[in-house]
Amino acid sequence: MKRILAVIIALALALSLLSGCGGSQKNEDSIATGGTNNQEDTQKPVEDVKPVTLTMLVSGNKSPDGKDIELDILPKMIKEKFSNINLEATKLPDEQYNTSIKTKLAAGEGPDIFLVWPKTGVCGAIDLSKAGYLMDISGYNIWNNFAKGAVEDMSYDGKVRAVAKGLDLLGIYYNKALFQKAGITEEPKDWTSFLGVCQKLKDAGITPIVTGDKDPWYLQFALYQIAANVVYPDDMDFDVKLQAGEESLTNPKWVKAIEMFNELYAKGYVVKNSLGIGSAQACSMFIDGKAAMIFDGTWDYNTLMAKGEAEFERGFMATPANESGKATYASASTAAGYAVNASTKNADAVKQVFEYWFDVNSSLFAAYRDASSSISVVKGVPLENELFKGVYDIYQNGKSVYFCNQMWPGAVATDMETKLQEMIGGQKTTPQDVTKAMDAKFKELWKN
Amino acid sequence: MNSSVMKRSMYLFVLPALIFYLLFWIFPILKIFQYSVSDYNGFVQKFNYIGMDNYISLFKEGVLVNSIKNTLIYTAVFVLFGNIFSLCLAFILNMNIAGKGVYRSVAYIPTLFSAIVVGFIWSYVYMPDSGLISSVLKAIGIDGSDFNPLGVGTTALYAIVFVEIWKNIGTNTIIFLAGLQTIPNELIEAGKIDGCSSWKLTRYVRIPLLAASITINVTLSVVNGLKAFDYPFIMTNGGPGTATNTLIFKIFKYAYNEQLFGKASALGVVAFTIIIIITGILVMNLRKKEVSL
Repeated sequence: MKRILAVIIALALALSLLSGCGGSQKNEDSIATGGTNNQEDTQKPVEDVKPVTLTMLVSGNKSPDGKDIELDILPKMIKEKFSNINLEATKLPDEQYNTSIKTKLAAGEGPDIFLVWPKTGVCGAIDLSKAGYLMDISGYNIWNNFAKGAVEDMSYDGKVRAVAKGLDLLGIYYNKALFQKAGITEEPKDWTSFLGVCQKLKDAGITPIVTGDKDPWYLQFALYQIAANVVYPDDMDFDVKLQAGEESLTNPKWVKAIEMFNELYAKGYVVKNSLGIGSAQACSMFIDGKAAMIFDGTWDYNTLMAKGEAEFERGFMATPANESGKATYASASTAAGYAVNASTKNADAVKQVFEYWFDVNSSLFAAYRDASSSISVVKGVPLENELFKGVYDIYQNGKSVYFCNQMWPGAVATDMETKLQEMIGGQKTTPQDVTKAMDAKFKELWKN
Repeated sequence: MNSSVMKRSMYLFVLPALIFYLLFWIFPILKIFQYSVSDYNGFVQKFNYIGMDNYISLFKEGVLVNSIKNTLIYTAVFVLFGNIFSLCLAFILNMNIAGKGVYRSVAYIPTLFSAIVVGFIWSYVYMPDSGLISSVLKAIGIDGSDFNPLGVGTTALYAIVFVEIWKNIGTNTIIFLAGLQTIPNELIEAGKIDGCSSWKLTRYVRIPLLAASITINVTLSVVNGLKAFDYPFIMTNGGPGTATNTLIFKIFKYAYNEQLFGKASALGVVAFTIIIIITGILVMNLRKKEVSL
């Protein structure tokens, strides 16, 4: 009996091995023939054009409907226009992206096209340019259409290194129905009236603000808006001086900004136990109508406009951290942008793709514009989401400051977040301690 | 003559594995020592050697003390309670109760999920106000509005160790259960005839005979505890503040969030040393005990 079983098993194994080999051979054949066929196809219309495969690595969450601009539409439309160019796009969640892109670049395995963020910081255009990973793309025939600020933020050494996706705004999404319920008729115009609005909501039994402080990066959303009104308006060159060693993050203005931030927690305007709530949970609390306001940016538009348990109209405003009688400044910054690997072997193909992609009249640009969540920085493209109009106008009037961490080495913001968590968690950390930690980290890491 | 040729040619067969081992295991470890005295940021290949600065600043900033303390607390709680819980569970599951197969499977289920799933589910369980635990508290009339284990510096570490214990209880229990089944029935019966109470049977017969299982479980738990990374990463991001920064989590954070590969390497060297020392002491002690048995 055992013998028969053994023979059967041996036979089965042998067969599966054989069939495995056969299968793979067939596959190889079909791939090979497929390849040659393709080559013939592509070589027919234009002579001497070799097929090129471009790789692209970007960050973000894939669009659920399968109509992802970077993963689906872009490769397809580029293939239609240039039959010899295949674009292979990969998308990773933000944190994974940051980790993997740097490792890939360091190992010389970087993709042809990838995302970088403006100025310095984690994956910042300046840092990566200094390391020699970004190609100078000033020569591309696209720059006439771009807003100057967006181009400058992506430049290093006077040369453009990336094409910005657009403009991102920070602000407060608020629940108009809850505002009305608390008897608030208009958006607050300065810090005192903002605190008044929070108090009114609290008195009406409504949680004024929900935050996702369990995710450390979330803490930046409110603080950078406050800093934009406290630190920068009288001193737009603050960070330039900081980098030159003439300023310090322990400056009383920064201490004041953090004190104002802390005031929101001390007065009980922020949801209780915010350190136990992550950003996703905070967003769902907002759309469920459990809190009146949430600090967030344009990138979370779809999440925050999604239908939750409650139905209500949303508003969007810049955090009015200004003194009364002064103008409110918005936190607005160039979004991430597409950069080209300095060591790409397909520089010409990439140039062709970029010039088609960002040609205002091309059908690809139209599709890209429609799918983009950031506000466009290309001249003549109107603002898509009416919700952002108020804050966008502030930006247009020049009353805006970039996100503070863009002028710091990445670790400064991380240390700041840790200290802020300690502060709002009641661990006896003072605003001065926070600024001291930020300044110490900055001085440790900043190298000219 | 013939045999010596055999032996020498045998070395050739070891070579491929040895090359891989050296290249992907020993070489990177040595590289860590090199990076730990540099300001390498992980992607710019030009870097400077800065001597012991990384180690000094780790010490000065209190990172070293904090993360070692957190890791040791994590490990101690995990080893102690994880093993006590699973030992109790193993005793219960070893009894002759109806449907014990079902209970045994149920106890093993948490082990089957990946850490990311478990971490995610538990952050909703712990969520203040609308999480599972606070909802239950509310339902039975207790004010759970202050229940926020992950958001309070003093409780966050224990809250995540509990999840680690919950997740690993199945594995530990199975090992104990297997140990219990190997105890010969005659010994138990002999004990009973001699008039042992069931507590005495457990204390003087079952537990000593479980020594081998205890060794395995304690060693595995210590190694897992010292490597703690998943739950601080998924559930608290090391926070609030630095309350759940374990050694390995802090290494990851330095290297990938803060672009401080040099400093991360220095911390890696320290972690390496600590783990070697603790494991060394543990192994020597447990060996002694096994000999004495």
